[in-house]
Amino acid sequence: MNKLINFKIDGISVEAQKGETILTVARKNGIYIPTMCYISKTSPCASCRMCVVEANEVDGFILSCNTPPTEGVEITTNSAALQNERTNIMKLYDVNHPLECGVCDKSGECDLQNKTLEFSVERQSFSARDQLRPLQHWGLIDYEPSLCIMCEKCVHVCNEVIGDDAIEVKFGGYSSTIIPKNSETLDCTFCGECIAVCPVGALTSSGFKYRANAWELERVPATCAHCSAGCPLEYETRHGSLNGADEIFRVKNNFEFASLCGAGRFGFDFDNIAVKNENAFGRAIEALKNAKAIRFSSMITNEEAHILELLKDKLGVKLFNEDARKFAEFMSSYSSISGKLHHSGSLDAIKQSDAVIVIGSRIATDNPGVRYALTTASKHNGAKIVYAHPMEDTLMQNVITQMMKYEVGTEEGVMALLAHTILKDSDLDESERAFFDELDFGYLYAETNIGEEELSHMMKSFMRAKKRSLIIGNDLIAHDRSSNIAKLAALIEKYSDFSLIVVPREINTLGVSLINSLDCDEKISNVVGYNAKGDFVISSLEGADLAIPALNQQEGTFVSIDNRVLPTNVALEFDGYTLNDIAMAFGIYEENTINYTKELNKNSGFKDIIFDDLENFLSPLGEDNRGYLLDEVICQTDGKLEELNDMPEFNGTIIYNCDPVLQFNNYTFKTVQLPKENLLLGSAQFAVAAKIADGDIVEISFGETKMQREFKLDGELKGTIALNPTFDISVDASRYRFEKSKIERVM
Amino acid sequence: MSKVYFSTWNGEFVNNINTPQEEWKESAYNLPAQYDSHRASKAFIGWDGVALFDKDVDVIRLAMEYAAQYQEYSEACGRCAPGRWGGRILYDLLDKIARGEGSKADLDHLKEIGKSMQVTSKCEIGKTVPNPIIDLMEHFEAEFLECIDKQKPSKHYHEEVGYIAKITAPCTDACPSHVDIPAYIEGVRDLRMDDSLMATRQTMPLAHVCGRVCPHPCEEACRRTNLDEPISIMSLKRLGADWETDHGYDFFHPMEKKPSNGKRVAVIGGGPAGLTTAYYLAADGVEVDVYEELPVLGGEVAVGVPEYRMPIGKYNKDIECVRDMGVNFIVNSKINADDMRRFESEYDATMVATGTRISKKVYCNNERAEIKGYWGAIDFLDKVNLYEKYGYKISKAEQDENLLTTDFVDLTGKVVVCVGGGFTSMDVVRCAIRANAKKVYMIYRRDEKTIIKNTTYEEYHEAVEEGVEFLFHSAVADMRDEDNILKSLLIDKFELVPDPNGGRAELVKVEGASYVIEADYLIPAVSQSADLKLLPPEWEIEMTSWATIKTNGKDYMTSRKGIFASGDCEYGPMTIVNAVGQAKRAASVMSRYVLSGEVTLTDDEIMEDHLRKLRVYDKKEKITGWLKGIPRQHSEVLEVEDRKYNNKEVNLGFTQEEAMSEAERCMRCYYIAMVQA
Repeated sequence: MNKLINFKIDGISVEAQKGETILTVARKNGIYIPTMCYISKTSPCASCRMCVVEANEVDGFILSCNTPPTEGVEITTNSAALQNERTNIMKLYDVNHPLECGVCDKSGECDLQNKTLEFSVERQSFSARDQLRPLQHWGLIDYEPSLCIMCEKCVHVCNEVIGDDAIEVKFGGYSSTIIPKNSETLDCTFCGECIAVCPVGALTSSGFKYRANAWELERVPATCAHCSAGCPLEYETRHGSLNGADEIFRVKNNFEFASLCGAGRFGFDFDNIAVKNENAFGRAIEALKNAKAIRFSSMITNEEAHILELLKDKLGVKLFNEDARKFAEFMSSYSSISGKLHHSGSLDAIKQSDAVIVIGSRIATDNPGVRYALTTASKHNGAKIVYAHPMEDTLMQNVITQMMKYEVGTEEGVMALLAHTILKDSDLDESERAFFDELDFGYLYAETNIGEEELSHMMKSFMRAKKRSLIIGNDLIAHDRSSNIAKLAALIEKYSDFSLIVVPREINTLGVSLINSLDCDEKISNVVGYNAKGDFVISSLEGADLAIPALNQQEGTFVSIDNRVLPTNVALEFDGYTLNDIAMAFGIYEENTINYTKELNKNSGFKDIIFDDLENFLSPLGEDNRGYLLDEVICQTDGKLEELNDMPEFNGTIIYNCDPVLQFNNYTFKTVQLPKENLLLGSAQFAVAAKIADGDIVEISFGETKMQREFKLDGELKGTIALNPTFDISVDASRYRFEKSKIERVM
Repeated sequence: MSKVYFSTWNGEFVNNINTPQEEWKESAYNLPAQYDSHRASKAFIGWDGVALFDKDVDVIRLAMEYAAQYQEYSEACGRCAPGRWGGRILYDLLDKIARGEGSKADLDHLKEIGKSMQVTSKCEIGKTVPNPIIDLMEHFEAEFLECIDKQKPSKHYHEEVGYIAKITAPCTDACPSHVDIPAYIEGVRDLRMDDSLMATRQTMPLAHVCGRVCPHPCEEACRRTNLDEPISIMSLKRLGADWETDHGYDFFHPMEKKPSNGKRVAVIGGGPAGLTTAYYLAADGVEVDVYEELPVLGGEVAVGVPEYRMPIGKYNKDIECVRDMGVNFIVNSKINADDMRRFESEYDATMVATGTRISKKVYCNNERAEIKGYWGAIDFLDKVNLYEKYGYKISKAEQDENLLTTDFVDLTGKVVVCVGGGFTSMDVVRCAIRANAKKVYMIYRRDEKTIIKNTTYEEYHEAVEEGVEFLFHSAVADMRDEDNILKSLLIDKFELVPDPNGGRAELVKVEGASYVIEADYLIPAVSQSADLKLLPPEWEIEMTSWATIKTNGKDYMTSRKGIFASGDCEYGPMTIVNAVGQAKRAASVMSRYVLSGEVTLTDDEIMEDHLRKLRVYDKKEKITGWLKGIPRQHSEVLEVEDRKYNNKEVNLGFTQEEAMSEAERCMRCYYIAMVQA
């Protein structure tokens, strides 16, 4: 029973729900209480003490950020006494703070500057002996402890939202400081959230250091282009030093409510620089006239995907996009059981869950947005998280409560077992019930290596859970049996209280799957590649036959994992041709690409809203006002579960095509700051099985691929599966990411 | 009550300045005037004021050194702005004055900073450190001004003076094991469960156990009670342990194991006292062998406390944590006097931690052990738990002895009468319900209020819900048998008769009110005595008047050098946390003893004992700076029908949301105390 608590702030009647604090209620009602260390997405830090308020019947001050109100209490947010103490606290914060505003990166957007002015601290009456606090250089992140005010926002965010738990407070009175946890130097996934939340110039980006002043930068709101989480960010631009052309200097995000990983934050310089080359354009038109197919990647806006669909109709060409095609296939099977087009879950649903199953994804690197949502669920809700995958991931250990390690390739069997366990008491129809009753459990337990005890342990741990989520990763979407797997996932969503999230592989896999009618990729000639392989390549990377803008140079929309249509804007002008120019050359005429925003496929849930009417902000209370959510679409439920296939066997040395942290594709590969280590990572066991040693150059063969990589021994991995990065090569997205491979030492 | 020269402790103002020593008025508080056997204290300064025992104290330096302590302790963590800078400024300004470079403005700044700290600090250290400093500045203003005016150092500034400081908190002080409670609650609040767990394990290795089955004396000393309700301290402890277990981590030990020092210790008994001794000795590099009589480890917590209160799966995790520190366990070995004699030469010290496992008699007529149906509580619980937790079946002979027809305890159709009023008796009756007894009675000499006080509110009410019938103000007068098989019991009724002279009320038997209950079993749970046959008689180990091993309660050495005792066999039947606390202290003493041959206490331990005597918790204190009326969280408990017929854990523990909001209520009442000696 959620009773509201009625009380007063500054004489105004307000109400609080269970779990709210005086501060959150004040903010909801537009009442100002100063804070320095408060951040909405974590538990209160309670270190600055600025938010002290008075309450009737209470002697002394109470802390509004971590105190829930009681019925009828009367709060005063400002008084002479409060003002005096808050000013004293600001004086304390300013003691020994180096006067380096002139050169400090944070100058102009520094909370200490703001509050020192707000509280008119003109004179300093206190002093203390200064201490030697040497600068720390931690790769992409610099820490200057003499500027640090120990607000602890960084450690809270790293622990509660990101999950790296890589920094901690070293206690010791005045000499307290932030140190890397359990490591000599910072050992983390370099998301840079600590830099974002730092109110002063203590934690800064080493790549941005001394390069520009905050007030010189133009801010362009956009959506991150690297994965399907659709994180909001702002590209900040200014003229570069030499030739005066604009550059992106850095990326910022609304850290109060949203988070951004290191790829989004530090991997921003993937823009394409080009001028109009009429010759090249002419050749592009010729190539398209003669083309049998256009092959394109999902790194494309909805509008451009729509243009390709129009070109398909006009020119009679096929459209190849294996990544989106497999996704569409998966969702189509899903729809045939669920009766709707879109999955029910979202990142917010994961954040609020207290029971989650993640299956078929190395999620920490596949989609950091999902990982952060899982961390929040684990820390704030004590969520029980089952991680079903053939490989452990140490990055997830502090979040996972049950590792369900299954044999490579057996995803169909695992899904059947999960569905059977979850739907034991559900009201299935006769044929569905028969499907489960007729499963050969002994065979499945043996082949998948998942036992009955593990499944019942899972259900027992979920006993008290109120909100449940099921997250499906790429290994299930690209699986040979993805169709039946999708139906099992749909059943779980339909008959239990699990919400379903299917993780799209690329930024706009989902959008493309909803807009384009895709054909199976074939080995034919006369294929034009649009940001993909082809006989004539139109792309925003180097070596293109025709240059086009990169995603941070385009206006348009994407569809994120939340089924939300999100706008993005032009951070840097592009002087070359765009797809719209090509379309116009074929008589498909719209002045701007964004004119197509309102034309997007209504049958897939897109709405009739023009681009300029799309909002792009988070409200002061954290509500996501960006773009719009897709409409739900009713589908025919004519799907039937198929009998399970025999479980495939993967013996010997296995490769898992999966990228390391901070790398996603050829664009992140292009950027200057992101680490580029592209080694084959394997355990000691793998090295023995493959008869190779640390440092060897090896040739990896699977399917029709042969490639060479340097092998590196990784002490944290176990078993005979090695990680093969793909961000620096092109990927066949129709293939299951685990590959039986031959490994041969080259030298 | 101590003789003081000057004291402002707890608002009591004692001013014996300029009075001859024989005429000194005493303070009402147990201030530590005598530090240890060879040092008297000169001053005691702490969170509630300052007391001087000697005229010659340099009060300015005293204030400065106290402020310095703020920088030393990690608990004085610098995690709030007023604390972090304020504390440093206090120290710097006091040092400035003390070394002869101060100014009048410094005194004003000190007062202002002190006030800010008192009003806005995050925790009690920040709020209370200024208190005694302000007291000294006020009452000894002349001395401060002298140093300032004459620009000279304070009276003993350049000399070697001994200051011994200790961090405490009211809850930590009341805990027999002095667990760092504010730290582990802060770990929960910060969502750093590993830090929370390591804080607990500094003095309590059995985090799963203490988070579930402790009578929590800390909650009776919780300052939050003065505002609204005490913090649910016990329930917050299990979160760190559950987190470690759920996420499959290796054990988080709060210290690194020291390299082996070649010394060996034998521990007799694998219960909480034995396990604790072993853990801390092993951490110090001592090789420890633990000898356990039963086939399983854990002592009474394993074979006495039932599964539904303390799941063995979780307790085993605590035991594995101890083993992980490098302890050798030898089960199925009952140690006798010959072994003890041998151990004296084979080991550098021995710890006796054998508990109290002999059920005492109820003292009624015809009370004979040969009567079948007369079943001591300890043995009853042994049989229940060895089967339920480990699968040990009951032998045919023992089945006969106890009127069982199955190889486990099945009381279907039987009437069970238990006599007692403590935790053991509660365990007996609730296990009897789960063994499907037809009817279960608890005969208790006193009343409902007292039985709740001796156990817990939850335990009593859960037992009532499960169907146990409590007969208060009653006692068994007579056992009636047929051919040595129990048939019925004669129960006497008592009433509390107030003393006409205003003294203690007396229990008087009500004539003519006695009645008979048909009973199949009488299970006495009226306390236990220790089995100390293992002590060689020629050692003449000194005993207490209640037949347990005597020690001085500070270093836990018996009357024989090198033989130590802790837990129930020293104290008498008591709580788990008491056993752990004694064993922790003993392990510290033993760790030094095996190297030096001497029995010593560290300054930390001496201060701990002084503070315990002083009593840190002040139940009359008025709390400022906190909003009252925020309710205490209660964790979910299984419904009766869901729990009565099985061993499912009854208390489900806090949800994360409940834990976080309960942790936010904690006022983090750390205090610094310091003695000049």
